[in-house]
Amino acid sequence: METNLVVEGVKFMFLGMGTVFLFLIILIFLMNVMSNLVHKLFPEPQANDTAQANSSANNDNKKVIAAITAAIAHHRQQG
Amino acid sequence: MKNIIIKLLALFVFIGFGNAYASDAAHAAPEHISTHQEETYQARPFSEMIGGFLASTGINALINPDPNELNAHDEPMSDFHKTWGRVIMILVTFLLFWLAIKKGFEPLLLLPIGFGGLLANIPVAGIAGHDGFLGIIYTMGLSNQLFPILIFMGVGAMTDFGPLLSNPKTALLGGAAQFGIFGTLVGAVALAEMGIVDFTLKQASAISIIGGADGPTSIFIATTLAPELLGAIAVASYSYMAMVPIIQPPIMKALTTEAERKIKMTTLRHVSRIEKLVFPLMVLVLAILVLPDSTPLIGAFMFGNFLKESGVVDRLSDTMQNALINIVTIFLGLAVGSKLAADQFLVGETLAILALGIVAFSAGTAAGVIMAKIMNLFPGHKINPLIGSAGVSAVPMAARVSNKVGMEYDRSNMLLMHAMGPNVAGVIGSAVAAGVLISLFQ
Repeated sequence: METNLVVEGVKFMFLGMGTVFLFLIILIFLMNVMSNLVHKLFPEPQANDTAQANSSANNDNKKVIAAITAAIAHHRQQG
Repeated sequence: MKNIIIKLLALFVFIGFGNAYASDAAHAAPEHISTHQEETYQARPFSEMIGGFLASTGINALINPDPNELNAHDEPMSDFHKTWGRVIMILVTFLLFWLAIKKGFEPLLLLPIGFGGLLANIPVAGIAGHDGFLGIIYTMGLSNQLFPILIFMGVGAMTDFGPLLSNPKTALLGGAAQFGIFGTLVGAVALAEMGIVDFTLKQASAISIIGGADGPTSIFIATTLAPELLGAIAVASYSYMAMVPIIQPPIMKALTTEAERKIKMTTLRHVSRIEKLVFPLMVLVLAILVLPDSTPLIGAFMFGNFLKESGVVDRLSDTMQNALINIVTIFLGLAVGSKLAADQFLVGETLAILALGIVAFSAGTAAGVIMAKIMNLFPGHKINPLIGSAGVSAVPMAARVSNKVGMEYDRSNMLLMHAMGPNVAGVIGSAVAAGVLISLFQ
């Protein structure tokens, strides 16, 4: 009993870290499956699914802003 | 008209006097009887009464300890713990007050714990004993683990799993940081094996859970596995959580290169309400299937979170986040403070616990950072290793530290929301680790 205390500790460590990682890896897998399902079954129109969509929306905004500033500048030149 | 008023006044005065006289008589009569009826009380000379009073003072109790006095567990105490030990512990609680008020170290918990400790070290009164109010609070909710569970409920109602859901793989960082727990466990039993400290496997497990950096979980495990060490474990756990901004940055900087600290992470995607609503149920079902021993903690946590995300019971979720958690915090602090009694805290093990606690904390931080570096070896979006340190729970302090260190190297690099992912995963991870430890000792 006394002699193998450290061995017991190491066993605890492998079992503990193994369980924690197993739990979280299954959880990551489930999270991915779940969000895919949710996006298929209940699509949100306003939701930006990916970072790309987000950045393209930003680009659109920038284009609009650029167009407006150009129009204002043109109008002022005319006036 | 005037006459009537004067007559009325006279009447009132008369009634008032009459009543006062009558009540005086009524008071006097029972007193007169009670002195005759009280048989246990015997008249003594005045000098003897003064002597008896002096014998009951706190000064006398501290100078001439009562040899028959027992501690809260009905065990005899050494003279040191009855005299100087109490004085030292009262000074220690003053130190805790100073840390909480002046230094801002977790005042919400250190103040109730410190004051509980102050009350528990009062001689004669026995406040932490079975019939004292601290003892009653302790049996009411701490020895049966009720308070940490209720705290977990409130923390669940305050937690947003959005950052984790939008970048699920960061959960691995929260897992890696649990190495702080199990690495320290091996360290503690190795020290015990070498004869430096005297810990059983149960005690070593209860101490190493400090590495989870999660106060309620530490208290939950300590009351289950080693209630005799609860005071030291709780104080170490909360003090180190408060010291996260001091302990973590040097470790984070030592393990990362400048280029790694400047890694920018991709923007987090939007997480829909349904995902957030399904998540707590999913974690709980997984816990039921894999590790039912962890479900008291995870169940309470996910209950709080589910109510919050449901959006239809704002009253309940608001109570959990504020009123309930505040009340329980007061009780939890006082009950933990009752374990700061000199005979339980001023023992050699406390120093070893404080030392092992900081090792556990540092190991958890380092493991999280290293895990992030390992994950960067694989293809995919790069992770800034600074968020790895947030894998130790300590919500949201650890995530703020990641953000702060990141901004030291690139002012435009906002890591806070990225670090919240591993941070909340760390809470789940330490609850799972707690479940593993409990299941191993059954």
